[in-house]
Amino acid sequence: MSHVIDIYKTLPLKDATEFGLEIQAPKKANAFVSSFMKRCLPNLKKVTADEFLERKAVVLEHVHKKKKRKRNKSKGLTSKERREMKLFEIKADQQRYEMFLPLHDLWKQYIRDLCNGLKPETQPQMVQNKLLKADLHGALVMVFKSKCPSYVGLTGIILQETKHVFKIITKEDKLKVVPKLNCVFSVEIDGFITYIYGSKLQMRASERSAKKFKAKGSLDL
Amino acid sequence: MLPVLQTCPRHLLVCEKSSFLQNRARYTNHVETHCFNYAVSILLPECGHLPGKLKSMIDGLGSYYLVKDLPLHEFITQEFRDKFLKKGLFYALSYNTRIDQDNAACLLPTGKLILSVEKDTYEELGLQGKQSLYSGKKATRYFISIDLLDDGLYPDSNKFQRLRWSLVEKKPLKFDFLFAWDILDISTINTYFSKYNVKEYPFKISSTVLKDLLCPVLKSRDLNGKGGESCSAAGIFEWLGAVSNNIDCNNQAYNFTSTLCCPDPNVLVEQAYVCTITGFITPLKILQLIQQLREYFDEPKLSPWASLMVHGFADSPVSWREREHGFFKGGENLYSLVVFNNEDYWIYLAVGTHDDCPP
Repeated sequence: MSHVIDIYKTLPLKDATEFGLEIQAPKKANAFVSSFMKRCLPNLKKVTADEFLERKAVVLEHVHKKKKRKRNKSKGLTSKERREMKLFEIKADQQRYEMFLPLHDLWKQYIRDLCNGLKPETQPQMVQNKLLKADLHGALVMVFKSKCPSYVGLTGIILQETKHVFKIITKEDKLKVVPKLNCVFSVEIDGFITYIYGSKLQMRASERSAKKFKAKGSLDL
Repeated sequence: MLPVLQTCPRHLLVCEKSSFLQNRARYTNHVETHCFNYAVSILLPECGHLPGKLKSMIDGLGSYYLVKDLPLHEFITQEFRDKFLKKGLFYALSYNTRIDQDNAACLLPTGKLILSVEKDTYEELGLQGKQSLYSGKKATRYFISIDLLDDGLYPDSNKFQRLRWSLVEKKPLKFDFLFAWDILDISTINTYFSKYNVKEYPFKISSTVLKDLLCPVLKSRDLNGKGGESCSAAGIFEWLGAVSNNIDCNNQAYNFTSTLCCPDPNVLVEQAYVCTITGFITPLKILQLIQQLREYFDEPKLSPWASLMVHGFADSPVSWREREHGFFKGGENLYSLVVFNNEDYWIYLAVGTHDDCPP
Protein backbone atom coordinates (compact mmCIF):
# COMPACT_ATOMS: atom_id res chain seq x y z
CA MET A 1 0.00 0.00 0.00
CA SER A 2 2.90 2.26 0.48
CA HIS A 3 3.21 2.50 -3.24
CA VAL A 4 -0.11 4.24 -3.59
CA ILE A 5 0.40 7.83 -4.46
CA ASP A 6 -1.88 10.27 -2.82
CA ILE A 7 -3.03 12.34 -5.73
CA TYR A 8 -5.02 14.73 -3.65
CA LYS A 9 -2.18 15.93 -1.51
CA THR A 10 -0.85 19.40 -2.10
CA LEU A 11 1.79 19.70 -4.73
CA PRO A 12 5.20 19.89 -3.20
CA LEU A 13 6.67 23.35 -3.45
CA LYS A 14 9.63 22.14 -5.40
CA ASP A 15 7.53 20.63 -8.15
CA ALA A 16 5.29 23.66 -8.29
CA THR A 17 8.00 26.11 -8.90
CA GLU A 18 9.32 23.80 -11.55
CA PHE A 19 6.00 24.04 -13.55
CA GLY A 20 5.54 27.75 -12.76
CA LEU A 21 2.39 27.28 -10.65
CA GLU A 22 1.46 29.39 -7.76
CA ILE A 23 0.72 27.49 -4.63
CA GLN A 24 -2.11 28.94 -2.63
CA ALA A 25 -2.80 28.53 0.93
CA PRO A 26 -5.76 26.19 1.54
CA LYS A 27 -7.90 29.00 2.91
CA LYS A 28 -7.23 31.14 -0.08
CA ALA A 29 -8.01 28.31 -2.41
CA ASN A 30 -11.37 27.73 -0.75
CA ALA A 31 -12.30 31.35 -1.10
CA PHE A 32 -11.37 31.26 -4.73
CA VAL A 33 -13.51 28.24 -5.45
CA SER A 34 -16.52 29.65 -3.73
CA SER A 35 -16.27 32.98 -5.51
CA PHE A 36 -15.74 31.17 -8.80
CA MET A 37 -18.82 29.13 -8.18
CA LYS A 38 -20.84 32.20 -7.35
CA ARG A 39 -19.83 33.79 -10.57
CA CYS A 40 -20.67 30.81 -12.70
CA LEU A 41 -23.87 29.82 -10.99
CA PRO A 42 -25.89 32.91 -10.25
CA ASN A 43 -28.71 30.95 -8.74
CA LEU A 44 -26.46 29.76 -6.06
CA LYS A 45 -27.41 32.05 -3.30
CA LYS A 46 -28.95 30.32 -0.46
CA VAL A 47 -27.20 27.07 -0.80
CA THR A 48 -23.59 27.33 0.01
CA ALA A 49 -21.11 26.12 -2.48
CA ASP A 50 -20.07 23.22 -0.33
CA GLU A 51 -23.50 21.87 -0.08
CA PHE A 52 -24.03 22.35 -3.77
CA LEU A 53 -20.79 20.61 -4.65
CA GLU A 54 -21.91 17.55 -2.87
CA ARG A 55 -24.01 16.79 -5.93
CA LYS A 56 -22.40 14.69 -8.47
CA ALA A 57 -23.14 16.59 -11.65
CA VAL A 58 -22.68 20.28 -11.93
CA VAL A 59 -23.57 22.04 -15.10
CA LEU A 60 -21.36 24.97 -15.39
CA GLU A 61 -22.12 26.68 -18.63
CA HIS A 62 -25.75 26.01 -19.41
CA VAL A 63 -28.05 27.70 -17.05
CA HIS A 64 -31.06 25.51 -16.79
CA LYS A 65 -34.14 27.56 -16.28
CA LYS A 66 -36.75 25.77 -14.40
CA LYS A 67 -39.99 25.46 -16.43
CA LYS A 68 -42.91 26.69 -14.56
CA ARG A 69 -45.25 23.74 -14.89
CA LYS A 70 -48.84 24.44 -14.17
CA ARG A 71 -50.04 22.26 -11.50
CA ASN A 72 -52.87 19.98 -12.48
CA LYS A 73 -56.17 21.23 -11.30
CA SER A 74 -57.64 19.12 -8.67
CA LYS A 75 -58.73 16.23 -10.78
CA GLY A 76 -62.51 15.81 -11.08
CA LEU A 77 -64.41 12.66 -11.63
CA THR A 78 -64.04 10.57 -14.73
CA SER A 79 -67.05 9.94 -16.91
CA LYS A 80 -67.32 6.47 -15.60
CA GLU A 81 -67.45 7.69 -12.05
CA ARG A 82 -70.01 10.26 -12.99
CA ARG A 83 -72.16 7.62 -14.60
CA GLU A 84 -71.86 5.45 -11.56
CA MET A 85 -72.91 8.33 -9.37
CA LYS A 86 -75.93 8.76 -11.68
CA LEU A 87 -75.13 12.39 -12.28
CA PHE A 88 -76.54 12.20 -15.80
CA GLU A 89 -79.88 10.92 -14.73
CA ILE A 90 -82.75 13.26 -14.22
CA LYS A 91 -84.69 12.60 -11.11
CA ALA A 92 -88.31 11.68 -11.47
CA ASP A 93 -89.56 14.71 -9.54
CA GLN A 94 -87.60 16.99 -11.84
CA GLN A 95 -89.09 15.59 -15.00
CA ARG A 96 -91.52 18.39 -15.57
CA TYR A 97 -92.08 20.08 -18.89
CA GLU A 98 -92.60 23.58 -17.48
CA MET A 99 -89.32 23.36 -15.68
CA PHE A 100 -87.51 23.21 -18.98
CA LEU A 101 -89.44 25.91 -20.79
CA PRO A 102 -86.91 28.57 -19.73
CA LEU A 103 -84.21 26.36 -21.22
CA HIS A 104 -86.14 26.31 -24.45
CA ASP A 105 -86.47 30.10 -24.40
CA LEU A 106 -82.76 30.37 -23.86
CA TRP A 107 -82.14 28.07 -26.76
CA LYS A 108 -84.37 30.15 -29.02
CA GLN A 109 -82.44 33.24 -28.08
CA TYR A 110 -79.21 31.42 -28.74
CA ILE A 111 -80.30 30.34 -32.19
CA ARG A 112 -81.51 33.82 -33.06
CA ASP A 113 -78.15 35.23 -32.04
CA LEU A 114 -76.38 32.54 -33.97
CA CYS A 115 -78.30 33.23 -37.16
CA ASN A 116 -78.12 37.01 -36.84
CA GLY A 117 -81.71 37.62 -35.91
CA LEU A 118 -83.51 35.07 -38.09
CA LYS A 119 -85.34 37.36 -40.43
CA PRO A 120 -87.83 35.92 -42.89
CA GLU A 121 -85.50 36.72 -45.76
CA THR A 122 -82.66 34.72 -44.24
CA GLN A 123 -81.34 31.98 -46.46
CA PRO A 124 -82.72 28.66 -45.26
CA GLN A 125 -79.43 27.06 -46.25
CA MET A 126 -77.61 29.20 -43.75
CA VAL A 127 -80.04 28.41 -40.97
CA GLN A 128 -79.64 24.75 -41.70
CA ASN A 129 -75.89 24.86 -41.56
CA LYS A 130 -75.92 26.74 -38.31
CA LEU A 131 -78.47 24.44 -36.75
CA LEU A 132 -76.46 21.39 -37.67
CA LYS A 133 -73.57 22.61 -35.63
CA ALA A 134 -75.53 24.33 -32.92
CA ASP A 135 -76.05 22.99 -29.49
CA LEU A 136 -79.41 21.29 -29.44
CA HIS A 137 -80.00 21.20 -25.72
CA GLY A 138 -83.27 22.95 -25.14
CA ALA A 139 -84.56 22.61 -28.70
CA LEU A 140 -88.16 21.61 -29.24
CA VAL A 141 -88.03 18.72 -31.66
CA MET A 142 -90.49 16.31 -33.17
CA VAL A 143 -89.72 12.90 -34.60
CA PHE A 144 -90.91 13.44 -38.15
CA LYS A 145 -90.03 10.09 -39.64
CA SER A 146 -88.80 6.91 -38.16
CA LYS A 147 -88.38 3.30 -39.09
CA CYS A 148 -90.16 2.43 -35.90
CA PRO A 149 -93.67 3.87 -36.10
CA SER A 150 -94.13 4.35 -32.38
CA TYR A 151 -91.43 7.02 -32.27
CA VAL A 152 -93.17 9.05 -34.94
CA GLY A 153 -94.75 12.19 -33.56
CA LEU A 154 -92.89 12.34 -30.26
CA THR A 155 -92.48 16.00 -29.44
CA GLY A 156 -90.42 17.50 -26.66
CA ILE A 157 -87.50 19.51 -25.41
CA ILE A 158 -84.05 17.96 -25.69
CA LEU A 159 -82.48 17.66 -22.27
CA GLN A 160 -79.48 15.55 -23.03
CA GLU A 161 -77.64 14.54 -26.11
CA THR A 162 -75.26 11.64 -26.26
CA LYS A 163 -73.55 10.01 -29.15
CA HIS A 164 -76.49 7.82 -30.03
CA VAL A 165 -79.60 9.14 -28.33
CA PHE A 166 -81.54 12.24 -27.46
CA LYS A 167 -83.30 12.40 -24.16
CA ILE A 168 -86.39 14.54 -24.53
CA ILE A 169 -89.14 15.56 -22.22
CA THR A 170 -92.64 15.60 -23.64
CA LYS A 171 -95.57 17.79 -22.77
CA GLU A 172 -97.00 14.93 -20.75
CA ASP A 173 -93.95 15.19 -18.46
CA LYS A 174 -92.52 11.96 -19.71
CA LEU A 175 -88.83 11.51 -20.28
CA LYS A 176 -88.26 9.68 -23.54
CA VAL A 177 -85.06 8.35 -24.97
CA VAL A 178 -85.03 8.50 -28.75
CA PRO A 179 -82.23 6.96 -30.75
CA LYS A 180 -80.76 9.10 -33.48
CA LEU A 181 -80.38 6.18 -35.82
CA ASN A 182 -83.18 5.76 -38.38
CA CYS A 183 -85.05 8.88 -37.29
CA VAL A 184 -85.62 12.24 -38.91
CA PHE A 185 -86.19 15.11 -36.51
CA SER A 186 -87.92 18.33 -37.33
CA VAL A 187 -86.90 21.50 -35.53
CA GLU A 188 -89.11 24.52 -35.80
CA ILE A 189 -87.96 28.01 -34.99
CA ASP A 190 -89.60 31.25 -36.07
CA GLY A 191 -91.25 29.66 -39.07
CA PHE A 192 -88.18 27.83 -40.28
CA ILE A 193 -88.69 24.10 -40.17
CA THR A 194 -85.53 22.08 -40.47
CA TYR A 195 -85.37 18.36 -40.88
CA ILE A 196 -82.37 16.74 -39.31
CA TYR A 197 -81.35 13.25 -40.31
CA GLY A 198 -80.44 11.57 -37.07
CA SER A 199 -78.42 8.85 -38.75
CA LYS A 200 -75.92 11.44 -39.93
CA LEU A 201 -75.79 13.09 -36.56
CA GLN A 202 -74.44 10.23 -34.56
CA MET A 203 -71.69 11.94 -32.61
CA ARG A 204 -71.27 13.86 -29.41
CA ALA A 205 -72.49 17.42 -29.35
CA SER A 206 -68.97 18.71 -28.86
CA GLU A 207 -67.60 16.73 -31.77
CA ARG A 208 -70.43 17.79 -33.99
CA SER A 209 -69.67 21.47 -33.70
CA ALA A 210 -66.29 20.90 -35.32
CA LYS A 211 -67.48 18.42 -37.92
CA LYS A 212 -67.69 19.37 -41.53
CA PHE A 213 -70.94 18.23 -43.03
CA LYS A 214 -71.07 17.46 -46.69
CA ALA A 215 -74.08 18.04 -48.86
CA LYS A 216 -75.64 14.88 -50.18
CA GLY A 217 -78.25 14.49 -52.86
CA SER A 218 -80.85 12.31 -51.31
CA LEU A 219 -80.75 10.15 -48.25
CA ASP A 220 -82.61 7.27 -46.89
CA LEU A 221 -83.27 7.78 -43.19
CA MET B 1 -85.71 -14.70 -76.43
CA LEU B 2 -84.74 -13.35 -73.05
CA PRO B 3 -84.12 -16.12 -70.53
CA VAL B 4 -86.35 -14.29 -68.07
CA LEU B 5 -89.27 -14.54 -70.44
CA GLN B 6 -88.81 -18.22 -71.14
CA THR B 7 -89.62 -19.30 -67.63
CA CYS B 8 -93.10 -18.62 -66.41
CA PRO B 9 -93.21 -16.79 -63.08
CA ARG B 10 -94.73 -18.56 -60.11
CA HIS B 11 -98.47 -18.97 -60.25
CA LEU B 12 -100.94 -21.07 -58.38
CA LEU B 13 -104.12 -22.76 -59.44
CA VAL B 14 -106.35 -24.59 -57.02
CA CYS B 15 -109.17 -26.79 -58.32
CA GLU B 16 -111.95 -28.17 -56.22
CA LYS B 17 -114.86 -30.41 -57.04
CA SER B 18 -118.00 -30.35 -54.95
CA SER B 19 -121.72 -30.17 -55.07
CA PHE B 20 -124.17 -27.37 -54.36
CA LEU B 21 -126.30 -29.84 -52.47
CA GLN B 22 -123.59 -30.49 -49.94
CA ASN B 23 -124.39 -28.95 -46.65
CA ARG B 24 -121.14 -27.17 -46.20
CA ALA B 25 -120.48 -26.02 -49.72
CA ARG B 26 -117.24 -24.15 -49.61
CA TYR B 27 -117.90 -22.08 -52.66
CA THR B 28 -119.86 -19.46 -50.71
CA ASN B 29 -116.86 -19.01 -48.49
CA HIS B 30 -114.55 -18.58 -51.45
CA VAL B 31 -116.87 -16.10 -53.09
CA GLU B 32 -117.57 -14.09 -49.97
CA THR B 33 -113.98 -13.67 -48.94
CA HIS B 34 -112.88 -12.46 -52.34
CA CYS B 35 -114.14 -8.93 -51.91
CA PHE B 36 -112.88 -6.82 -54.77
CA ASN B 37 -114.16 -8.12 -58.05
CA TYR B 38 -113.73 -6.23 -61.19
CA ALA B 39 -115.36 -8.36 -63.85
CA VAL B 40 -117.64 -11.35 -64.13
CA SER B 41 -118.03 -13.24 -67.33
CA ILE B 42 -120.59 -15.94 -67.87
CA LEU B 43 -120.25 -18.54 -70.59
CA LEU B 44 -123.36 -20.46 -71.63
CA PRO B 45 -122.71 -23.03 -74.35
CA GLU B 46 -125.61 -23.95 -76.65
CA CYS B 47 -127.42 -20.77 -75.83
CA GLY B 48 -128.32 -18.00 -78.22
CA HIS B 49 -129.75 -15.48 -75.83
CA LEU B 50 -129.81 -14.96 -72.10
CA PRO B 51 -132.66 -16.64 -70.29
CA GLY B 52 -135.18 -14.13 -68.96
CA LYS B 53 -134.46 -14.58 -65.27
CA LEU B 54 -130.74 -14.23 -65.66
CA LYS B 55 -131.18 -11.21 -67.89
CA SER B 56 -133.39 -9.40 -65.45
CA MET B 57 -130.98 -10.28 -62.67
CA ILE B 58 -128.03 -8.84 -64.59
CA ASP B 59 -129.95 -5.73 -65.54
CA GLY B 60 -130.98 -5.18 -61.95
CA LEU B 61 -127.49 -5.35 -60.48
CA GLY B 62 -127.61 -1.71 -59.52
CA SER B 63 -124.58 0.48 -59.50
CA TYR B 64 -121.43 1.40 -57.65
CA TYR B 65 -119.98 4.73 -56.58
CA LEU B 66 -116.81 6.64 -57.11
CA VAL B 67 -115.89 9.27 -54.54
CA LYS B 68 -113.09 11.62 -55.49
CA ASP B 69 -110.41 12.80 -53.07
CA LEU B 70 -111.82 11.24 -49.97
CA PRO B 71 -109.56 11.68 -46.92
CA LEU B 72 -108.95 8.43 -45.15
CA HIS B 73 -109.97 9.79 -41.77
CA GLU B 74 -113.60 9.82 -42.90
CA PHE B 75 -113.62 6.08 -42.36
CA ILE B 76 -112.61 6.21 -38.75
CA THR B 77 -115.27 8.61 -37.49
CA GLN B 78 -117.72 7.13 -35.04
CA GLU B 79 -120.62 8.19 -37.22
CA PHE B 80 -119.33 6.38 -40.27
CA ARG B 81 -118.61 3.26 -38.32
CA ASP B 82 -122.09 3.24 -36.84
CA LYS B 83 -123.88 4.04 -40.05
CA PHE B 84 -122.05 1.86 -42.49
CA LEU B 85 -119.58 -0.58 -41.01
CA LYS B 86 -121.73 -1.96 -38.24
CA LYS B 87 -124.47 -2.76 -40.70
CA GLY B 88 -121.95 -4.73 -42.68
CA LEU B 89 -121.29 -5.56 -46.30
CA PHE B 90 -119.71 -2.22 -47.07
CA TYR B 91 -116.85 -2.35 -49.55
CA ALA B 92 -114.41 0.38 -50.46
CA LEU B 93 -111.33 0.23 -52.62
CA SER B 94 -108.95 2.97 -53.64
CA TYR B 95 -109.19 3.64 -57.34
CA ASN B 96 -106.36 4.31 -59.77
CA THR B 97 -103.71 3.44 -57.24
CA ARG B 98 -101.06 1.05 -58.38
CA ILE B 99 -100.28 -1.54 -55.79
CA ASP B 100 -96.59 -1.74 -56.61
CA GLN B 101 -95.75 1.94 -56.50
CA ASP B 102 -98.52 4.00 -54.92
CA ASN B 103 -100.25 3.90 -51.60
CA ALA B 104 -103.42 1.88 -51.70
CA ALA B 105 -106.25 1.34 -49.25
CA CYS B 106 -109.32 -0.78 -48.96
CA LEU B 107 -112.10 -1.38 -46.50
CA LEU B 108 -113.28 -4.93 -46.02
CA PRO B 109 -116.85 -5.77 -45.01
CA THR B 110 -115.42 -7.21 -41.80
CA GLY B 111 -114.54 -3.67 -40.75
CA LYS B 112 -110.84 -3.98 -41.43
CA LEU B 113 -109.12 -1.03 -43.00
CA ILE B 114 -106.15 -2.25 -44.99
CA LEU B 115 -103.43 0.13 -46.08
CA SER B 116 -100.64 -0.89 -48.35
CA VAL B 117 -98.16 1.96 -48.22
CA GLU B 118 -94.71 2.58 -49.54
CA LYS B 119 -91.75 2.90 -47.21
CA ASP B 120 -91.60 6.68 -46.99
CA THR B 121 -95.26 7.03 -46.18
CA TYR B 122 -95.04 4.31 -43.58
CA GLU B 123 -92.20 6.05 -41.82
CA GLU B 124 -94.16 9.27 -41.66
CA LEU B 125 -97.51 7.76 -40.81
CA GLY B 126 -96.59 6.32 -37.46
CA LEU B 127 -98.98 3.39 -37.53
CA GLN B 128 -97.82 -0.09 -36.78
CA GLY B 129 -97.73 -2.40 -39.76
CA LYS B 130 -95.96 -5.35 -41.22
CA GLN B 131 -93.38 -5.56 -43.92
CA SER B 132 -94.84 -6.56 -47.20
CA LEU B 133 -94.14 -10.19 -47.95
CA TYR B 134 -93.11 -9.50 -51.50
CA SER B 135 -90.81 -6.51 -51.28
CA GLY B 136 -87.60 -8.41 -50.68
CA LYS B 137 -85.04 -8.08 -47.93
CA LYS B 138 -85.04 -4.32 -47.81
CA ALA B 139 -88.68 -3.54 -47.30
CA THR B 140 -90.07 -0.91 -49.63
CA ARG B 141 -93.70 -1.56 -48.85
CA TYR B 142 -95.65 -2.03 -45.68
CA PHE B 143 -99.00 -3.57 -44.96
CA ILE B 144 -101.11 -1.99 -42.23
CA SER B 145 -104.30 -3.57 -41.03
CA ILE B 146 -106.62 -1.68 -38.69
CA ASP B 147 -109.72 -3.22 -37.19
CA LEU B 148 -112.29 -0.44 -37.15
CA LEU B 149 -114.88 -2.53 -35.34
CA ASP B 150 -112.53 -3.15 -32.44
CA ASP B 151 -114.20 -2.43 -29.11
CA GLY B 152 -111.07 -0.65 -27.90
CA LEU B 153 -111.49 2.00 -30.56
CA TYR B 154 -113.86 4.30 -28.68
CA PRO B 155 -113.23 8.02 -29.18
CA ASP B 156 -111.33 8.63 -25.95
CA SER B 157 -109.01 5.68 -26.21
CA ASN B 158 -105.33 6.12 -26.87
CA LYS B 159 -105.61 3.85 -29.85
CA PHE B 160 -108.25 6.00 -31.48
CA GLN B 161 -106.46 9.25 -30.68
CA ARG B 162 -103.30 7.94 -32.25
CA LEU B 163 -105.13 6.73 -35.34
CA ARG B 164 -106.94 10.02 -35.70
CA TRP B 165 -103.77 12.00 -35.18
CA SER B 166 -101.84 10.11 -37.85
CA LEU B 167 -104.59 10.21 -40.42
CA VAL B 168 -105.79 13.75 -39.77
CA GLU B 169 -102.69 15.67 -38.74
CA LYS B 170 -99.55 13.72 -39.47
CA LYS B 171 -100.13 12.37 -42.92
CA PRO B 172 -103.58 13.16 -44.37
CA LEU B 173 -103.86 10.47 -47.02
CA LYS B 174 -106.40 10.99 -49.76
CA PHE B 175 -107.70 8.53 -52.27
CA ASP B 176 -110.35 8.17 -54.91
CA PHE B 177 -112.58 5.45 -53.59
CA LEU B 178 -114.88 2.95 -55.18
CA PHE B 179 -117.85 2.18 -52.97
CA ALA B 180 -120.25 -0.68 -53.04
CA TRP B 181 -122.85 -1.53 -50.49
CA ASP B 182 -125.06 -4.55 -50.53
CA ILE B 183 -127.59 -3.16 -48.12
CA LEU B 184 -129.01 -1.00 -50.84
CA ASP B 185 -129.77 2.45 -49.67
CA ILE B 186 -128.38 4.70 -52.30
CA SER B 187 -129.37 7.94 -50.68
CA THR B 188 -127.32 7.20 -47.56
CA ILE B 189 -124.03 7.19 -49.41
CA ASN B 190 -125.00 10.28 -51.35
CA THR B 191 -126.06 12.28 -48.33
CA TYR B 192 -123.28 11.14 -46.04
CA PHE B 193 -120.56 12.00 -48.51
CA SER B 194 -122.31 15.05 -49.93
CA LYS B 195 -119.23 17.14 -49.13
CA TYR B 196 -117.28 15.16 -51.68
CA ASN B 197 -117.69 14.50 -55.32
CA VAL B 198 -119.79 11.33 -55.49
CA LYS B 199 -120.61 9.76 -58.81
CA GLU B 200 -122.79 6.80 -59.47
CA TYR B 201 -121.75 4.34 -62.15
CA PRO B 202 -123.87 1.58 -63.66
CA PHE B 203 -122.30 -1.76 -64.47
CA LYS B 204 -121.02 -2.16 -67.99
CA ILE B 205 -122.55 -5.18 -69.65
CA SER B 206 -121.29 -6.55 -72.91
CA SER B 207 -122.42 -9.76 -74.51
CA THR B 208 -121.44 -11.69 -77.59
CA VAL B 209 -122.72 -14.81 -79.23
CA LEU B 210 -119.96 -17.07 -80.47
CA LYS B 211 -120.82 -19.24 -83.46
CA ASP B 212 -119.49 -22.72 -84.17
CA LEU B 213 -117.31 -22.99 -81.15
CA LEU B 214 -115.31 -26.06 -80.21
CA CYS B 215 -116.24 -26.91 -76.64
CA PRO B 216 -114.45 -29.43 -74.43
CA VAL B 217 -116.41 -32.35 -73.06
CA LEU B 218 -116.63 -32.22 -69.29
CA LYS B 219 -117.79 -34.84 -66.86
CA SER B 220 -118.48 -33.56 -63.41
CA ARG B 221 -117.17 -36.74 -61.78
CA ASP B 222 -113.78 -36.67 -63.41
CA LEU B 223 -111.79 -33.72 -62.19
CA ASN B 224 -108.67 -35.18 -63.70
CA GLY B 225 -110.36 -36.21 -66.92
CA LYS B 226 -110.27 -39.55 -68.69
CA GLY B 227 -108.34 -39.90 -71.87
CA GLY B 228 -110.74 -39.87 -74.79
CA GLU B 229 -113.86 -39.37 -72.66
CA SER B 230 -113.55 -36.03 -70.95
CA CYS B 231 -111.15 -33.16 -70.37
CA SER B 232 -109.33 -32.48 -67.14
CA ALA B 233 -110.19 -29.48 -65.03
CA ALA B 234 -106.73 -28.00 -65.20
CA GLY B 235 -106.68 -28.28 -68.96
CA ILE B 236 -109.74 -26.22 -69.67
CA PHE B 237 -108.91 -23.33 -67.36
CA GLU B 238 -106.87 -21.58 -70.00
CA TRP B 239 -109.46 -22.28 -72.63
CA LEU B 240 -112.19 -20.74 -70.46
CA GLY B 241 -110.17 -17.56 -70.19
CA ALA B 242 -109.56 -17.42 -73.90
CA VAL B 243 -113.23 -17.90 -74.75
CA SER B 244 -114.50 -15.32 -72.31
CA ASN B 245 -112.09 -12.82 -73.85
CA ASN B 246 -113.21 -13.78 -77.32
CA ILE B 247 -109.88 -15.13 -78.44
CA ASP B 248 -109.78 -17.49 -81.37
CA CYS B 249 -108.76 -20.96 -80.26
CA ASN B 250 -108.50 -22.65 -83.65
CA ASN B 251 -104.77 -22.35 -83.80
CA GLN B 252 -102.49 -24.68 -85.69
CA ALA B 253 -99.43 -26.22 -84.15
CA TYR B 254 -97.17 -24.15 -86.37
CA ASN B 255 -98.78 -20.86 -85.47
CA PHE B 256 -96.16 -18.35 -84.39
CA THR B 257 -98.19 -16.32 -81.88
CA SER B 258 -100.25 -18.94 -80.18
CA THR B 259 -100.77 -22.65 -80.32
CA LEU B 260 -103.64 -22.73 -77.85
CA CYS B 261 -106.36 -25.13 -78.93
CA CYS B 262 -109.50 -26.40 -77.41
CA PRO B 263 -108.50 -29.42 -75.31
CA ASP B 264 -109.41 -32.89 -76.51
CA PRO B 265 -112.05 -34.39 -76.61
CA ASN B 266 -114.30 -31.63 -77.84
CA VAL B 267 -117.58 -31.11 -79.62
CA LEU B 268 -118.68 -28.45 -82.00
CA VAL B 269 -121.25 -26.17 -80.46
CA GLU B 270 -123.47 -24.12 -82.73
CA GLN B 271 -123.48 -21.07 -80.57
CA ALA B 272 -122.34 -19.95 -77.14
CA TYR B 273 -123.33 -16.90 -75.19
CA VAL B 274 -120.66 -14.86 -73.39
CA CYS B 275 -121.79 -12.08 -71.12
CA THR B 276 -119.28 -9.87 -69.33
CA ILE B 277 -120.20 -7.51 -66.51
CA THR B 278 -117.59 -4.95 -65.51
CA GLY B 279 -117.64 -2.75 -62.46
CA PHE B 280 -117.20 -3.03 -58.73
CA ILE B 281 -119.16 -6.20 -58.10
CA THR B 282 -119.81 -7.36 -54.57
CA PRO B 283 -119.65 -11.03 -53.57
CA LEU B 284 -123.36 -11.03 -52.74
CA LYS B 285 -124.20 -10.19 -56.33
CA ILE B 286 -121.96 -12.96 -57.55
CA LEU B 287 -123.68 -15.43 -55.26
CA GLN B 288 -126.99 -14.33 -56.75
CA LEU B 289 -125.59 -14.89 -60.23
CA ILE B 290 -124.45 -18.37 -59.27
CA GLN B 291 -127.88 -19.09 -57.91
CA GLN B 292 -129.35 -18.03 -61.24
CA LEU B 293 -126.94 -20.31 -63.07
CA ARG B 294 -128.11 -23.23 -60.94
CA GLU B 295 -131.70 -22.39 -61.75
CA TYR B 296 -130.74 -22.19 -65.42
CA PHE B 297 -130.37 -25.97 -65.38
CA ASP B 298 -133.86 -26.46 -63.95
CA GLU B 299 -135.08 -26.86 -67.49
CA PRO B 300 -133.21 -29.42 -69.57
CA LYS B 301 -130.43 -27.86 -71.59
CA LEU B 302 -128.29 -29.14 -74.44
CA SER B 303 -125.02 -28.39 -72.75
CA PRO B 304 -124.27 -30.10 -69.45
CA TRP B 305 -122.35 -27.18 -68.00
CA ALA B 306 -122.00 -23.40 -67.85
CA SER B 307 -119.21 -21.33 -66.39
CA LEU B 308 -118.75 -18.13 -64.50
CA MET B 309 -115.41 -16.41 -64.23
CA VAL B 310 -114.64 -13.65 -61.73
CA HIS B 311 -111.62 -11.39 -62.00
CA GLY B 312 -110.36 -9.56 -58.97
CA PHE B 313 -108.90 -6.07 -59.15
CA ALA B 314 -105.27 -6.43 -60.10
CA ASP B 315 -104.37 -3.54 -57.83
CA SER B 316 -106.36 -4.39 -54.76
CA PRO B 317 -104.25 -4.71 -51.59
CA VAL B 318 -105.81 -8.06 -50.71
CA SER B 319 -106.92 -11.09 -52.65
CA TRP B 320 -108.77 -13.59 -50.49
CA ARG B 321 -109.59 -12.57 -46.95
CA GLU B 322 -106.76 -10.38 -45.68
CA ARG B 323 -104.07 -12.06 -47.66
CA GLU B 324 -101.68 -9.63 -49.16
CA HIS B 325 -101.79 -9.23 -52.88
CA GLY B 326 -99.02 -7.96 -55.11
CA PHE B 327 -98.82 -7.08 -58.75
CA PHE B 328 -95.50 -8.44 -60.04
CA LYS B 329 -96.36 -9.00 -63.72
CA GLY B 330 -100.11 -9.19 -63.97
CA GLY B 331 -101.65 -9.06 -60.52
CA GLU B 332 -104.02 -11.88 -61.36
CA ASN B 333 -106.39 -13.03 -58.70
CA LEU B 334 -109.41 -14.75 -60.11
CA TYR B 335 -111.69 -17.67 -59.66
CA SER B 336 -114.01 -19.44 -61.96
CA LEU B 337 -116.86 -21.76 -61.38
CA VAL B 338 -118.05 -24.47 -63.71
CA VAL B 339 -121.64 -25.32 -62.89
CA PHE B 340 -122.97 -28.71 -64.01
CA ASN B 341 -126.55 -29.69 -64.62
CA ASN B 342 -126.42 -32.24 -61.80
CA GLU B 343 -125.74 -29.55 -59.18
CA ASP B 344 -122.05 -30.39 -59.11
CA TYR B 345 -119.54 -27.65 -59.51
CA TRP B 346 -115.83 -27.18 -60.04
CA ILE B 347 -114.16 -24.14 -58.68
CA TYR B 348 -110.79 -22.82 -59.78
CA LEU B 349 -108.88 -20.34 -57.68
CA ALA B 350 -105.89 -18.77 -59.35
CA VAL B 351 -103.31 -16.27 -58.24
CA GLY B 352 -100.15 -14.81 -59.69
CA THR B 353 -96.66 -14.54 -58.29
CA HIS B 354 -97.10 -12.07 -55.45
CA ASP B 355 -99.92 -13.79 -53.68
CA ASP B 356 -100.53 -16.26 -50.98
CA CYS B 357 -102.08 -19.62 -51.78
CA PRO B 358 -105.83 -19.24 -52.13
CA PRO B 359 -107.88 -20.76 -49.30
